[in-house]
Amino acid sequence: MTTIICCGNPDRGDDGAGFLVAKQLQTFGVPVKMCSGEATSLLDAWTGQANVVVVDAVRTGDPVGTIHRWAATEAAFPRARFASTHGFGVAEAIELARTLGLLPSQLCVYGIEAGQFEPGADPSAAVQQAAVTLAAEILEGLDCAPSSQPG
Amino acid sequence: MTARTIKVETLARVEGEGSLYIKMAGDRVADVKLKIYEPPRMFEAFLRGRHYSEAPDITARICGICPIAYQMSAVHAIERALGVRIDPAVRLLRRLFYCGEWIESHTLHVYMLHTPDFLGYEDVIAMAGAHRQVVETALRLKKIGNRIVSLLGGREIHPISTAVGGFYKTPTKAQLLELLPDLEWAVQASLDAVQWTAGLDFPNFEQDYEFVALRHPDEYPLNEGRLVSNRGLDIDAAEYEDHFTEYHVKHSNALQSVVRGRGSYLVGPLARFNLNFDKLPAVAQEAATRARLQPPVKNPFRSIIVRAVELVFACAEACRIAREYEPPVAPRCETPDRAGMGQAITEAPRGILYHRYAFDDKGLILTAKIVPPTSQNLRRIEDDLREYAAQLVAWPQKEATWKCEQAIRNYDPCISCATHFLNLVVDRTEDSILP
Repeated sequence: MTTIICCGNPDRGDDGAGFLVAKQLQTFGVPVKMCSGEATSLLDAWTGQANVVVVDAVRTGDPVGTIHRWAATEAAFPRARFASTHGFGVAEAIELARTLGLLPSQLCVYGIEAGQFEPGADPSAAVQQAAVTLAAEILEGLDCAPSSQPG
Repeated sequence: MTARTIKVETLARVEGEGSLYIKMAGDRVADVKLKIYEPPRMFEAFLRGRHYSEAPDITARICGICPIAYQMSAVHAIERALGVRIDPAVRLLRRLFYCGEWIESHTLHVYMLHTPDFLGYEDVIAMAGAHRQVVETALRLKKIGNRIVSLLGGREIHPISTAVGGFYKTPTKAQLLELLPDLEWAVQASLDAVQWTAGLDFPNFEQDYEFVALRHPDEYPLNEGRLVSNRGLDIDAAEYEDHFTEYHVKHSNALQSVVRGRGSYLVGPLARFNLNFDKLPAVAQEAATRARLQPPVKNPFRSIIVRAVELVFACAEACRIAREYEPPVAPRCETPDRAGMGQAITEAPRGILYHRYAFDDKGLILTAKIVPPTSQNLRRIEDDLREYAAQLVAWPQKEATWKCEQAIRNYDPCISCATHFLNLVVDRTEDSILP
């Protein structure tokens, strides 16, 4: 059983990427946990789960809508590249969990490259398209084992 | 004259995004600029034309960290406009809801964001190895706050149960009693936090602040009270804009706020503690006294102890409410569609949050004004940095920068309410006096 956690703020432009993926998955009847992305809530959401997928918006400088994939249990998470509107967020949750021995045995993190975090704005068209693509990818391989390298 | 410039491109461990610029000429601070943006202003425009009943949900989305505060200021302002009086049980529940948010917010800041500064760690991840128990306590406390917010809000993020006139759904007595074992543990954990935060090393830095907070005749302030200060202010929320004004500064999209005719002021835990010490429950007063913390506390670095005392208060108050609660006759009262205007101030974890709404006879919002606590503290943070940076002239660049960032974190700025990250950069001219 895979636990899927989608993070972000649907009212902050491309920070809604995780919610778009969640909506897609839910139309196929896949249960999804929603999370603001704040680190302690995220730790709580995956506690006791062995196989976890996390989806959030990221900013790495790649084109908006690029889908990134990390196997977070295999290597240190690229915190400096993983920026969102959460000051203490996904990257911090992963590294704190690694230190405390609270990482799930399998943790796949998907990031959708974001361009803007305007309050009240809709997500970019490229992010909306990426969300559909990523939801399909997650559906196909819920017992995923993605590369530890960004896609 | 020697000169150097401190710039912080990305200040870590704050909610949001911005930057800091400090220019020094010899031992004098020539310029301090906090550069940030101000999203809530866009929400004010977004609210126009919406029915007042939508305001609690819309404004809650301004900030993922303090949505309850936005909901509370919104419903109180609108209820004042409508002349609605809520059921006392609903009032208690709102107070409990706010306690949940205070527990979440203060736990995050005291344990995860601020303590690493005092123990010399880059962040809580670096700290967790040597201080595992502190971090595990924080995670458990945070979870208890989340549980209260989820129970009353209907879900953990973007709570949806708050309504003008009450709640869409209220919990049973049994549901609140189930919280008690966790909350009793939380009181003890937060008492411990007061003790160990009091043992941290604090810089010798005190300022002559104007502290501004709500004050209620019977209780430590959350949802209600008159707005008071240590310089004689004593007003109703409806008079807020007569005494405070916002202005635009060139270097930032954020508005700054001042007391008319006086200047910067401080809102948040230090202000509440200094103006309401006598209203804290005995358990919190005694904890403060044991920690040798007595009002007025004028050293902003000691705000970490004050937050721990407020954590004791929030946990103890949640216990009290869980024990005393009896469900209301109805979750909410019906509210009419009619024209009106109302203002309210509530105490968000970071300080006072002002809302004003005016709506037409169909209940559609004509104007809205929101002044978040971080905006109100911005000018004060710059003033602190102007004074504090002058003490750091002899410090190496790296340590001086670190100290400036710490001085900003004293305010637990929620720049999400005003923006994303804060960036600090330190530039130095060749003739710098510093190594």
